[in-house]
Amino acid sequence: MKTKSFVQFVGPSVVLMVLLLAVPLITTFYLSVRNCSMEMELVKIEESSPFGVKEVLTQRAKLDASGRAIQNCSFVGLDYYKKVLGLDVSVDTVVDQPDAAKSGGSNVVGAAKDQKAGNEFIGALKFTMIYTFVTLPFVLGIGFLLALGVNNVTQKLKGFIISASLLPFIITPVVAALSIKWLFRDNGLVPYLLSHVGIEVFWMAQAWSARVLIIVYGIWHVVPFAFIVLYAGLQSVPQDSLEAATIDGASGWQKLRYVTLPHLAPLLLFITLIHLMDAYRVFEPVLVLTQGAFTTSVQYLTYHILLQENNPYKASAAAVLTLIGIVFLLIPLLVKTWREQKRGF
Amino acid sequence: MIFKPNGIRRNLLAAACATSVLALTPSLSLASCADIKGKGDINIVGSGMPSVVHISKELEACSKGTVKVSVKITPEARVEAERAFASDGKSAFDAAVVSGGVYSGLSSRGQIQPMTDLVAKYKTKFKIEDNMLVKSNGEVMAIAYQQNAQNLYYRKDLFDKHGLKAPTTYAEMLAAAAVLKAKEPSIDFPIAQTFSKGFDISTEFVNMFVGFGGKMFKAGSAQPAFNDEAGIKTIELMKSMLPFMTPNALASNTDDVMNQFQQGKAAMGVLWASRAARMDDPAASKIVGKMEFVAAPAVMAGGKSATHLWWDGVVMPKNLANDRDVVFQVLMEALDEETTKSGNDSTIWIRSVYKPTRFGTGVTLSAKAGAPTWPTEPYMGLATGELGKVIPEVLGGTMTAKQALDAAAVAYAKAATEKGFIK
Repeated sequence: MKTKSFVQFVGPSVVLMVLLLAVPLITTFYLSVRNCSMEMELVKIEESSPFGVKEVLTQRAKLDASGRAIQNCSFVGLDYYKKVLGLDVSVDTVVDQPDAAKSGGSNVVGAAKDQKAGNEFIGALKFTMIYTFVTLPFVLGIGFLLALGVNNVTQKLKGFIISASLLPFIITPVVAALSIKWLFRDNGLVPYLLSHVGIEVFWMAQAWSARVLIIVYGIWHVVPFAFIVLYAGLQSVPQDSLEAATIDGASGWQKLRYVTLPHLAPLLLFITLIHLMDAYRVFEPVLVLTQGAFTTSVQYLTYHILLQENNPYKASAAAVLTLIGIVFLLIPLLVKTWREQKRGF
Repeated sequence: MIFKPNGIRRNLLAAACATSVLALTPSLSLASCADIKGKGDINIVGSGMPSVVHISKELEACSKGTVKVSVKITPEARVEAERAFASDGKSAFDAAVVSGGVYSGLSSRGQIQPMTDLVAKYKTKFKIEDNMLVKSNGEVMAIAYQQNAQNLYYRKDLFDKHGLKAPTTYAEMLAAAAVLKAKEPSIDFPIAQTFSKGFDISTEFVNMFVGFGGKMFKAGSAQPAFNDEAGIKTIELMKSMLPFMTPNALASNTDDVMNQFQQGKAAMGVLWASRAARMDDPAASKIVGKMEFVAAPAVMAGGKSATHLWWDGVVMPKNLANDRDVVFQVLMEALDEETTKSGNDSTIWIRSVYKPTRFGTGVTLSAKAGAPTWPTEPYMGLATGELGKVIPEVLGGTMTAKQALDAAAVAYAKAATEKGFIK
């Protein structure tokens, strides 16, 4: 192919990828090594509200001639990465302890924080990995069984079953998570039914059950994706190979094991790749089901930093770390795909 | 710096609630907006609170001729408003419906536009009342339209049945809970409060902590002061409530607590007044007419009501894209007397034409019992953000109160330093 033709074919994709992937990534990284803060000053203000008038001593941003707040921006290197990872061992923030003499002063407080930040990230990473690797086999297994089942039902039922099976995947994640929550919370349908057989479980009262709920949500929500991809794959299983196997006396299991599954292997790899990326970014069920109680995820931490700490710079560092995690997770699969591509599969 | 009543998580439910809210809302007599001169594509952002849903209809009714008004109701309203108001270019939103907490942050960063001249110009036309004006050093910075507070909900029928009085302190509340747990077969968990991680539990903490006389920050400084004796007492009090609450308490947000009340599964608890009218929604509640509302209890005998007073109102950004005069008129049309009258029961309006209902009595009584206004320090949101993360750890038994408060203090101090509040 001529270079000009090649550029014409590939150019639009490259431009889009640069604009939609590379630029945001570079911007996120740029933000993650910087910090901007406003120049604040202590002022006394008379505030009046529907509840009366009061004088308060508070902080206000210093404004420039145009009335905009004066910002101080600086390069902070990997500081935010260290903070997110809990590696920020320097006690650079002195907290005036109200009872410093009794508690041992700010160093004790600093130690508590450092341990907490580390635990927080490791805890989030741990659950993210558990979620990712527990849901994956279920997604592949149930999706495959569903695909096999639907492939073998009569044509009349196929349309209905396929549509019904896809529903969990179509529903918006937040709404889907809310549905699960409402099923399992106090007075929900599941606790109500279980109470009739003498089982009383408070699903959002401890870590194990909260985690089970999130994992159940993950499987329920993603299985339809695996199902539809594998179902499509089953339509292209070579019939001549299956017939040859039948003539050779292969059992149903042997045909599945030696003909169907090898044919579906690239699709299984594809689903695995997509699910690993998706699962590593688990967010909605953590937010909706438990509001982060008992369990958090890496993505939830980023959200919390952005919205609660209101710190886009630190949140950017958390986002970059999430990305690095995904890359590490995908390395074996990417290497495998790369080799297969090279071999011409 | 937090959207009231319960920030992001509750607002995620707004869409689901909107239909029933609208069903409760009396028929609207939408703003006429006939004599608004000027033009513009006006964009306004707000959370999904019942009152915002009500007002948004009025705002959008002003889309006439050359004026087009769009209201974005979103769970991310606080973040969207903050981002837009802080942008270097023109703001994506010409106004936002915010709580007093969010206002404090925007105001401290100098991102809100004064409206003093516009109020003077249109005071008579829109009958703007003095107590709607939120001022800073005499400049009108926001127009408030509703007040809110967390107050005590209690099942009067059950309290009467067991000869109990409405509690005025948390000690009385715990004693009443013990009686109901032992004697009332329909109630397994007498107390329901919003103890879920994050904003909910941190707000409960601040309510009680201030009730104990605690100060969140050192005087004249952004340095934390909540990791003290009052903080420990507060968390211990919260712990003592757990045996009377559902084991799911640490994941119970406003929606969950409201559901527990509506289903008759809880008998008392401190909850936002803005949810009170939902107790009498026959489509969702099994306890219509049975819930009463009084002041939030004090944490100690003779103490002030352990809650805070909030207001919600509208603000305009400094980097406004449209004609400020037109935007202001649209806002005032939507907050006129007719809006209050047509949505009288949907919230506790500030306008004098509001006819108080029993759903607002808890706020009035809390104010009378000395409840203060929510702290206006611009770094308050950073502190509650950190407290909201660690208090559940104590209630779940993985940290002591002192460890948790110290951890929150250091985390807050680091965040406040990064933001420039602590030098």
